[in-house]
Amino acid sequence: MTLMASNQKVVSTPQSDDVVLSVQGVSKKFCRDLKRSLLYGVRDIGKEFLGLRGEKNDKLRKKEFWALQDVSFELRRGEALGLVGKNGSGKSTLLRIIAGLIKPDVGMVRVNGRVAPLIALGAGFNPVLTGRENIYANMSILGLSKEEIDERFDEVVEFAEIGEAIDSPVQSYSSGMAARLGFASAIHTNPDILLIDEVLAVGDLKFRAKCNRKLFRLRQNGATFILVSHNSQVLLSACNSAIYLALGKVVTSGEAKSVVVKYENDLFLNEAAGKSKDSCITEEINNDEFREIKINDCVFIDDQGRIVELLKTSEAVTLCLRCTAYERVDEVIVRLIFRELSDFNELVLELSSKADEEELVMELGENDVLIHLSYLGLKPGLYSLRVLIEAGARNTCDRVDSFTFRVQSSTIMSNCSFYQPRSWKISNS
Amino acid sequence: MKELRPPPKQMHRPSRSRPEIYTAVYRPESEMRRPLQLFNRMWQDLLASRELAWQLLKRDISAQYRQSFLGYAWAIIPPIVTAAGFTFASNAKVLNVGTTDLPYPAYVMFSTVLWQTFSEAITLPMRNMAQSKMLLAKINFPREALILSSMGQVFFNFAIKLILIVGMFLWFGMPVAASVILAPVALVHLVLFGIMFGTLLAPLSALYKDFAKGVPLLIGMWLFLTPVVYPVPSGEGLFGFFVKLNPVTPLLVTTRELATTGVLSDPQGFWWASLVALVGLMFAWLLYRLAMPYAIERMSS
Ligand SMILES: Nc1ncnc2c1ncn2[C@@H]1O[C@H](COP(=O)(O)OP(=O)(O)O)[C@@H](O)[C@H]1O
Ligand SMILES: [Mg+2]
Repeated sequence: MTLMASNQKVVSTPQSDDVVLSVQGVSKKFCRDLKRSLLYGVRDIGKEFLGLRGEKNDKLRKKEFWALQDVSFELRRGEALGLVGKNGSGKSTLLRIIAGLIKPDVGMVRVNGRVAPLIALGAGFNPVLTGRENIYANMSILGLSKEEIDERFDEVVEFAEIGEAIDSPVQSYSSGMAARLGFASAIHTNPDILLIDEVLAVGDLKFRAKCNRKLFRLRQNGATFILVSHNSQVLLSACNSAIYLALGKVVTSGEAKSVVVKYENDLFLNEAAGKSKDSCITEEINNDEFREIKINDCVFIDDQGRIVELLKTSEAVTLCLRCTAYERVDEVIVRLIFRELSDFNELVLELSSKADEEELVMELGENDVLIHLSYLGLKPGLYSLRVLIEAGARNTCDRVDSFTFRVQSSTIMSNCSFYQPRSWKISNS
Repeated sequence: MKELRPPPKQMHRPSRSRPEIYTAVYRPESEMRRPLQLFNRMWQDLLASRELAWQLLKRDISAQYRQSFLGYAWAIIPPIVTAAGFTFASNAKVLNVGTTDLPYPAYVMFSTVLWQTFSEAITLPMRNMAQSKMLLAKINFPREALILSSMGQVFFNFAIKLILIVGMFLWFGMPVAASVILAPVALVHLVLFGIMFGTLLAPLSALYKDFAKGVPLLIGMWLFLTPVVYPVPSGEGLFGFFVKLNPVTPLLVTTRELATTGVLSDPQGFWWASLVALVGLMFAWLLYRLAMPYAIERMSS
């Protein structure tokens, strides 16, 4: 993928034969208000017909917004591009422009090759007709001739694992069967450019694996992909580059992993920030009713003793509780209760020095309780920590009700509910 | 991650059947600014859409008749009912329509069949468009296919009604003029005239629901200005003037006359109306194409 600065004009590249898709400064505006949108539609049709619509339509009319703004990239044969971004960030809009379904308002798209949208699996299936009839209709909509369909028919049926049911009406199919048939007929059109918009989640695990294998093979044969998926694992296994869109703008683009990591961090943090207003570190230390021990401060520090503001999943960190003891306490019990700030404020981790059979003794005066976490296992997000210090069987001495902190990630954490320290190797015996 | 890029030589793409490279450029500016390119594309798409239209036609017809008990009978029931109703009213002297050159029930039945064919030519493109919203919004197939398949459906439905017409000729013992072989030409012009409206209205009806409601109403009113249940008025009154002005009149009347009496009452009007139909259809096609992306943009949000 080649990425271009927004104002940079793309001069026809020397290997332009190889470029199958070139998107240059594409912007698209939509109108939120339906009534107005229809009115603009009629007006635009009129302008189009009279030839009044120019190359740049970059003025927003009332109630319009940019659904896509100044997106540029190039794809060569055999490349695969991942698109990430929250819902409503313009991914589908971009694919629809590339497919030629809607016109850009600014910029230009050039496509060399046949585009197959894997957007509409089984769109156009008629429930009354048999699977066979639907395959013919659907694949001809996707641009194949009768002979070409004849040629591939058996392959499609076999791939979809429909078997005998091919001659019964599609309305008698399970949703999985229909989706499989849709996928099979779309993928067997052997396109040059595949646009895949969140459709790989169809069918059971086995079928999904088969789809992924098929896509992989297509790519080896030179097909180009653009893949939108919420599953970063799928995305990373299929794509070498990615674009992260937010509110229609390109936030980052480039090597797939770094883009996905950035996206996931933003995603986790935004999710958390939505739940709690103050996204920075806050603490409420209950200072009123301490007994033998008083907690003065609660911070995370690194190996060198520097305060860590932003925690990173998988990295080592130490929780430091700065306390004042008003007498010597033989049997200090520290309890840490971590909750993720989400809809349910779910309990994610509870640590207790008593359960760990640690015998902690606190001398009179200033003490630091250090809890070393050799790998931070928490996934990215916003957390609230509750700290309790107890003196033996006697009751709670002091507590921190809510120490809020953020965790970011430097690795891919999708489909992981915690960080698993690991190492990989193959031993040949 | 290791990048898997195969050497380009090894690709086995289906190049045997499609050697040409498809290049498409999507620009914001009006396609009317590059008319040659536009017309070329329109022609290409028309050619490319024939086979798809055929598949869509097969799909729609089989689905339509498979899900119905009476099936093909639905094509011929309405003209029979209309003819029976008007014949009854006319015999009871409720309605006074004057004399027709054919037996009145046959006149009404034949004219109703023609009228229905015309009105289907207006409504089917709109209906097919509404039914294919999902497809249109997601797949970029040649849009002409929808119109072609609607046209196919119109002719298919007419073919079934032809059975009724043949039966009617036998029943009333009506003579067939030699000019009947020219009747299909006139019929095609009548259908094209309807398709012109259908093509013009289809993208607009995708935007505004008003069209789906208003068009049948207008067609109903139009019926009264067309000599379907009454003969062409001879008088010079306002009504007669409107009926004569109505371009459907010469198209429909000529088709009927070619098939029955062979005596044409208004050949000049027929050619004028045909010209309007052909020029109008080209215009409608252009608008249909240009409007489509804007309509699609607003279809699926
Ligand atoms: N046809 C449309 N009319 C008006 N707004 C639209 C239309 N399609 C999409 N939008 C808006 O454009 C934005 C981008 O949408 P979309 O491309 O579907 O996002 P994504 O696929 O990334 O979830 C959203 O705010 C959406 O509401
Ligand atoms: Mg989307």
